[in-house]
Amino acid sequence: MAKKTYDLLFKLLLIGDSGVGKTCILFRFSDDAFNTTFISTIGIDFKIKTIELKGKKIKLQIWDTAGQERFHTITTSYYRGAMGIMLVYDITNSKSFENIAKWLRNIDEHANEDVEKMILGNKCDMDENRQVPKDRGEVIAREHGIKFMETSAKNNINIERAFEELAEAILNKTPSGRPDPSELPDRIRAVNPSPGDRPGVISRCC
Amino acid sequence: MSYRERMQRLELLLGEAVINLEQLKELVFHGLPGDGSARPLVWRLLLNYLPASREEWGPFLAKKRTNYGNFVADLLQPCCAAEEAADAAEEADHPLNPNPDSRWQQFFRDNEVLLQIDKDVRRLLPEIAFFQSATKYPCEQIVSGAMARLHERVGYVSLQAGSIVKRGIGLITKTSTGTSSSSSDGGCRPNNKGGESHWEVVERILFVYAKLNPGQSYVQGMNEIMGPLYYVLATDADEEWARWAEADTFYIFTHLMGEVRDFFIRSLDNSTSGIRRMMEILMRRVGGRDTQVARLLAQQEIHPQYYAFRWITLLLSQEFPLPDVLRIWDSLLADRKRFDFLVDLCCAMIIHVRGELLSGDFATNMKLLQNYPPIDVRDILALASTFSEKGVVAE
Repeated sequence: MAKKTYDLLFKLLLIGDSGVGKTCILFRFSDDAFNTTFISTIGIDFKIKTIELKGKKIKLQIWDTAGQERFHTITTSYYRGAMGIMLVYDITNSKSFENIAKWLRNIDEHANEDVEKMILGNKCDMDENRQVPKDRGEVIAREHGIKFMETSAKNNINIERAFEELAEAILNKTPSGRPDPSELPDRIRAVNPSPGDRPGVISRCC
Repeated sequence: MSYRERMQRLELLLGEAVINLEQLKELVFHGLPGDGSARPLVWRLLLNYLPASREEWGPFLAKKRTNYGNFVADLLQPCCAAEEAADAAEEADHPLNPNPDSRWQQFFRDNEVLLQIDKDVRRLLPEIAFFQSATKYPCEQIVSGAMARLHERVGYVSLQAGSIVKRGIGLITKTSTGTSSSSSDGGCRPNNKGGESHWEVVERILFVYAKLNPGQSYVQGMNEIMGPLYYVLATDADEEWARWAEADTFYIFTHLMGEVRDFFIRSLDNSTSGIRRMMEILMRRVGGRDTQVARLLAQQEIHPQYYAFRWITLLLSQEFPLPDVLRIWDSLLADRKRFDFLVDLCCAMIIHVRGELLSGDFATNMKLLQNYPPIDVRDILALASTFSEKGVVAE
């Protein structure tokens, strides 16, 4: 087994219409690179990145999902395990923005009630093709009490910030009375083994 | 049987007036000549497109190819042209017609499907330049301008949807002028007038398929199934065959989808032919062949949905470089109990990396299975063959 080099494990999920740039956002964050030639995600993909927040090493386990309806049976089973969900649309594609409402309903149906959410309007580098004004994103986010950011995986705008803010929001929910950090990962494994199980638990179980 | 012997027998077999399909399967299961020259013909035969009797090929192909040409002409007809041709007595149709059966409504629904296809074909097999390059055999009606390019249709729709945005109450602002390319990723540009890129051909085949199979329509991943088929037929060194790659790919794709379509249909996920059942069989076989690995995967809760869903649905087309995929598909298509060997192959992939799996944690093992390491595919083919020789473990 690999050495445990983190204090907390957070599970995050990326959802949104097909082609809005979920995989590119994740790739920018995990590998700090941009690739225009991504194949479409079939089913679910997975990346890990460890960040440091408030002196804690936080391992982010990030699940990247396929956007098309067909894959929802596969992907919605991950909602329950997620502690944070990033809902992505493409600012150059108004349809992907209209579908935000549908994705939010999916979250309500399948995710934990207290899951941290964030809406990202991606491809903000392509302002000349913009179909969704920034204020529309802000309005829908405010209505639902969710954080909102415009991002560009291509120009590396707000990508790191988005993940950090989401992680921080989850961290803030985690009560301070945690057990010895060296023990924690094992407990996480024990109480929170799969995305199918109850998640956010790290905070509540202790 | 030596490689040379096998190739000689294959050549003889393919030269016969009536080709023995069973013998063909037996030979091809172990691979085709390295130059791939026999593959386009062999795949047409294995996918039950070409009849066994050579005599029938001429008239059969002529009819099929004409039919496909008609599909393209009928199904790609843009709405406005169809409207002009429509019966004058019919109730006038228009873009805002709320009737779901109206031709305009159908046109908009089609364009949603098309938009998804468009996104996916532009990102098909990006590691090779082939799909971005121009085909020698473009669709005549397209290059002559008689018919609009499919991706122009969806470019038009996204402009329409985005050009007018409500701001506050009642105030309407026009926000975007030029046509926006909704599929900005991929960076691939359509071929200029006078030509067509291979991805545009693939887009057309998928759209025709979606129109003819409305219950199933287009599902992401079909493009990945189409990729190797079209590549093989379109790179045929024999120009007389290569020029018909589009029509023939449509048919062999249709035949192949006939066998794997259940993997793509959500409502069949739990049926005996659906993807879940396939994953169950896989895990049972892994358990029967390597209890230690099976136990580890179960313990770490590395469910087959995380990796084998894609392996099986896409017939491994995303897991290996294209030349390896073609070699794998020779065996998959020549499998007598078609797609049973696929399960053995997936099982072999897992057992082949057992050493790494047994020493890895959840995250490293997930990465390993989702990004399968570069290997000599002959190793897993050989391993999988030993499984099928031993017979199917009791299920």
